[in-house]
Amino acid sequence: RIMPVRWSRYNPSYLEPEVKKESYQKPLEKLTDEEREQKELKAVRPIKAAPPTLSSSVFSDPLISKFTNMMMKSGNKVLARSLMSQTLEAIKRKQLEKYHKAPENEKETIECNPYVIFHQALKNCQPIIGLSNITKGGKTYQVPVPLTDNRKRFLAMKWLITECRENKHRRTMMAEKLSQELLLAFNNEGPVIKKKHVLHKMAEANRAYAHFRWW
Amino acid sequence: QLDHGRALHTAARAGLSSVSTRDVPAERPRAVFHTSESDPAKHSEQHEGRLYNIPLEEVKAVFPHGLPYRFQQQIQTFNEARVMVRRPALELLAYLKGSNLAHPAVRYVIYGERGTGKTMTLCHVVHYCSRQGWLVLHIPDAHLWVKNCKELLQSSYNKDRLDQPLQASVWLKNFKASNERFLRELKTQKKYTWGKRESTEEGRPLGEVVEQGLARVRSASDAVGVLLREIKQQSHRGSFRLLVAVDGVNALWGRTTLRREDRSPVSPEELTLVHNLRKMVRNDWSGGAIVTTLSQTGSVFKPSSAHTPHELLGKEGFDALDPFVPIPVANYSPREFESCYGYYLERKWLQHEKAHTEDGKAELQFLSGSNPRQLDRLAGPL
Repeated sequence: RIMPVRWSRYNPSYLEPEVKKESYQKPLEKLTDEEREQKELKAVRPIKAAPPTLSSSVFSDPLISKFTNMMMKSGNKVLARSLMSQTLEAIKRKQLEKYHKAPENEKETIECNPYVIFHQALKNCQPIIGLSNITKGGKTYQVPVPLTDNRKRFLAMKWLITECRENKHRRTMMAEKLSQELLLAFNNEGPVIKKKHVLHKMAEANRAYAHFRWW
Repeated sequence: QLDHGRALHTAARAGLSSVSTRDVPAERPRAVFHTSESDPAKHSEQHEGRLYNIPLEEVKAVFPHGLPYRFQQQIQTFNEARVMVRRPALELLAYLKGSNLAHPAVRYVIYGERGTGKTMTLCHVVHYCSRQGWLVLHIPDAHLWVKNCKELLQSSYNKDRLDQPLQASVWLKNFKASNERFLRELKTQKKYTWGKRESTEEGRPLGEVVEQGLARVRSASDAVGVLLREIKQQSHRGSFRLLVAVDGVNALWGRTTLRREDRSPVSPEELTLVHNLRKMVRNDWSGGAIVTTLSQTGSVFKPSSAHTPHELLGKEGFDALDPFVPIPVANYSPREFESCYGYYLERKWLQHEKAHTEDGKAELQFLSGSNPRQLDRLAGPL
């Protein structure tokens, strides 16, 4: 068969690869009928190649992988991943130092898990409503428009990365700056949160044009 | 998770004899992989795999330089310095305890793969010797002297040799911080002239030589040379015991990355610091020991797969160091891995929820291959 390589579409008979360890450790008796059928199908059908982002590690996180991919420049995933791990380690160190120096009653309030901080910071940076350019009668208007979840996540990550790339001193490392920004965003402070608020205000100001939207 | 580790430990320790009273697992689960014995002289096989604490003031006094950077960061984050007691270190300590100081100094070479704990073993031995009151000559990394030198001066003492004022002054400062007592007690045995107007008389304390080296940076390398020579000559008298601890001793033989102004390469024996250190590492003096480490990570012009003494030292170095006692350092044993993992959990270093599970632990062990450095780097972001 000839498969086109770019935007390759697999033949529909190809099945997805199964990465979870638990599904292979189940003994034969416990399988339900659909699972038994699925297993027999896998014995005959070809399987697609696993993409590099797919991992069977218990520590893998899809949001972190997405963020690493967005930080990557010219395919240098090794560098992006090392930057990400250095960032997480920097966040953890700062929070642990604060934790050990804090008095007993404040210790529960300090969050030391870098993953929790990362997720919360990104959630705080996500805008609720966005603006889109709609041309009507020769003029372009900025119309407030609802955003999908994917678009919100993308905007939050994009803002964070551009902020860290542009507004830092020449000598500060990316990991250091990113950890600072993430900690600020976790506490709802910092330039990225400000940008989100500016967007919200613009959307509120332009709510008169909201009826231009047709979707 | 901690209970599982505890059960393993108690099972493994079933055959061992009496343990110190704080290591009772019932009330204090913390103490299974810790030990309250902070004096290295009393460490023995029952403490193998456990971590002992060095008080922070002692860390500042004994190790002004010499600890790996990641370990220093760890000390700052956890607010304590915990070193694991491992078999190669126990072996070395046993040799040092049983050594006859009237005989010429024995040379020990700690070697192993990358990241297995050679520098930490050396630091353990240095801590033991400083607790016992030895004079410790600790060179943190000999590779720093053969690469990245901004200033190379022609030595005034010997026209062929080259001085390195910056490296020498940094080392002198750190040496002064750790060995104040000896610098006051030991006296010079000869008159040394530093320039037209400066000289140190006979019988002055060695502290003055160090001050001279720090004040006049141009003569710092010569000050180091004088210091080494004096200490070596006085060591056989028996008033003090000398430990020469060199990390990355394979830098002393081989090549350097330094060049003179006319872009001709410099070989190590043309550097005063290296020349004097080579004299120190020869076993023609008595009253102490020489403990060295091979290191590929900072080395120049050596392939990354080289880790045996013969590959890293080359023929010249091997002949100069021969005969020596080789001490191999390997990756963590399963028990040591449990210790390290338990310590990270207890200090809240492993924050990921899955890291507390059995799967997470098995994955960490597999990914790191029980290599201490890899485990440390993997546990960082988790």
